Amino acid sequence: MDIKEKLNILEELLDLEKDSLDTDTVLDEISEWDSIAVISTIAMFDSLFGKEITAREVNGFKTVKDIIDRME
Amino acid sequence: MATGIIKNVEVKGIASAVPERLVKNTDYNDVFGEENVSKFINMTGVKTRHVAYDEQCASDLCYVAAKKLMDKLNWEPSSIDALIMITQTPDYATPATACVLQHRLGLKEDCIAFDVNLGCSAYVYGIWLAAAMISTQDLERVLLLVGDTSNFGINQNDSSTAMIFGDGGSATALERSEGKEIKYFLKTKGSGYKAIMVPAGHARSRGRNLTGAFCELAMDGSEVFSFTITDVPRTINSFMSQYNINRDDVDMYVFHQANLFILKQLVRKLKIPIEKVPISIDRYGNTSGESIPVTLVDALGGDESNDRIRLFLCGFGVGLSWGGIYLEIDKSSCLPMIYTSEYFTGDDH
Repeated sequence: MDIKEKLNILEELLDLEKDSLDTDTVLDEISEWDSIAVISTIAMFDSLFGKEITAREVNGFKTVKDIIDRME
Repeated sequence: MATGIIKNVEVKGIASAVPERLVKNTDYNDVFGEENVSKFINMTGVKTRHVAYDEQCASDLCYVAAKKLMDKLNWEPSSIDALIMITQTPDYATPATACVLQHRLGLKEDCIAFDVNLGCSAYVYGIWLAAAMISTQDLERVLLLVGDTSNFGINQNDSSTAMIFGDGGSATALERSEGKEIKYFLKTKGSGYKAIMVPAGHARSRGRNLTGAFCELAMDGSEVFSFTITDVPRTINSFMSQYNINRDDVDMYVFHQANLFILKQLVRKLKIPIEKVPISIDRYGNTSGESIPVTLVDALGGDESNDRIRLFLCGFGVGLSWGGIYLEIDKSSCLPMIYTSEYFTGDDH
């Protein structure tokens, strides 16, 4: 899966327009990055990547790149 | 894993009572904004909730449910050997609400009565406790009351808790019954005790100024969520394989109605058909420990057929505490939902 595909997954999850995110985007600057987004991210890692990640880890993500790097 | 089989006991009847007052979550559009409320409803599934009147306690809802259930089963008050009340919203700091209810229901003095403090896992712990008492002690009939008025102590301006909870109270009748059995597992992960918490109100907070956030329910939704989609399905799967219970051996999976998103994730992780998973959270909200009996009564209440139904019940949350129960009951043992505005006027305090 390339970076663009990963970004698209994240855009869909956050209900954002396609190709609106890039890896440098700071999560706290996206208004859609809220408590529901954190939960959706945990579920996304579990269902698409078979990874069980903790809320603490997701809350520690600073930029879109931090999320993308875990999508492997 | 704490797990086992409790023999010679059966659930004979289940009743649930909710307050008559119905609250629509769209009524919060002015408080949180229409878009946020709509997003919340889509995520949690909660459209309406029954919310207790100011004077109405969990005990009042349990009382009404217990009265109707005892009438239906023709259980004389004198025939009940024990009453267990499980709530996080008791009538008083002390005495135990079970003692007040033993009096209000007219039960005999030769009756064991006590409270247990558990929330989302209350119903499965309660069934285990009541069943174990019958199976190992010389008891015939136990009344299990599980109820909460979780909206008590909620900050109406906190969008994560103001729109999620419904109130309700249930009564479940358990009786000695040769040849019948209940399988269970119970778990605890106290390291997550802060994930859902009301810090004030008891000894740990003495001497502190009991106002504001300290008195309100605080929930770390994301921590609870990650617990629910990892620990909970893992233990359910190991329980099912330990007792060789196949997916087809369960007619209905009744989960604690935490929120719709969590329920969908559980269904996905456990690979069970959604048709076997009744949902009540859309109309009743998250009714804490009461959500399993509310969902059972919503799905089966008033069914007069003689059929049996095999159930897997699972509660998970505050504690963190969770457990599951596999049992078989008569479909006709669930009474229709009760809507009530009754409350206790027996004391003036």
